[in-house]
Amino acid sequence: MSRNKDRIIMQRALTLSLACVFALMSGAALASGDIAAGKQKSATCAACHGPDGNATADGQYPRLAGQYADYVVQALHEYQAGTREHPAVGSIRRGNAIMQGMAAPLTDQDIDNLAAYYASLPGKLSDLHGKVQGGD
Amino acid sequence: MNRSLIAACLLAVMATTPLVAGAATATGNAEAGRAKVYTCHGCHGVPGYANAYPNYRVPRIAGQNEQYLINALHEYQSGDRSHPTMSAQADSLSDQDIADIAAYLASFAKSP
Repeated sequence: MSRNKDRIIMQRALTLSLACVFALMSGAALASGDIAAGKQKSATCAACHGPDGNATADGQYPRLAGQYADYVVQALHEYQAGTREHPAVGSIRRGNAIMQGMAAPLTDQDIDNLAAYYASLPGKLSDLHGKVQGGD
Repeated sequence: MNRSLIAACLLAVMATTPLVAGAATATGNAEAGRAKVYTCHGCHGVPGYANAYPNYRVPRIAGQNEQYLINALHEYQSGDRSHPTMSAQADSLSDQDIADIAAYLASFAKSP
């Protein structure tokens, strides 16, 4: 009887700690950005990435519309880090000179807002799911 | 005489420039790329699949612009962009592989 009770307590503790871990992880994964504020900040980005985030004029610039917000956040932090080690990005870096200059003045909140804005736009980006020969 | 020589030189330079540029960039074949994205699919084909550390979702790359994809893969090769997994993947690709993969991925933006 008491062993059973212990087991229930253990299970609850495990569930609770798993929930905490999950909450922390999803907090990091989902940027808490403000779409309207991001749109306001996006005027400079539009010159290359397009006014709708679809970057069609010149194929060298990536489409941002419909991209995962947390990937955009990561990318902007990588540009800020440049070629340095940085706690936010670890050993992952990007040395692109144009984007390093663009990302440098952005605050973490600006980055979250921009990412939320571009993720919210309708675009042509998708996962590779179902687009592979012999795969599904 | 002198002027026509200069003109001839200019013409010669103009005529060879596209050839040089053509040699530097492989022309992508989307159909060949379709067979080459099998490995990419392991991460980029799983909706919402996340990079472990730091924790963020791997980007959507189907429908991305062709030249951007070509540049990104070459930057992983050169080290301008560093990501342990992507650097290893890019190192295994030839210029032709990169062009084919980029052509295939970009083709998804062309369908309505």
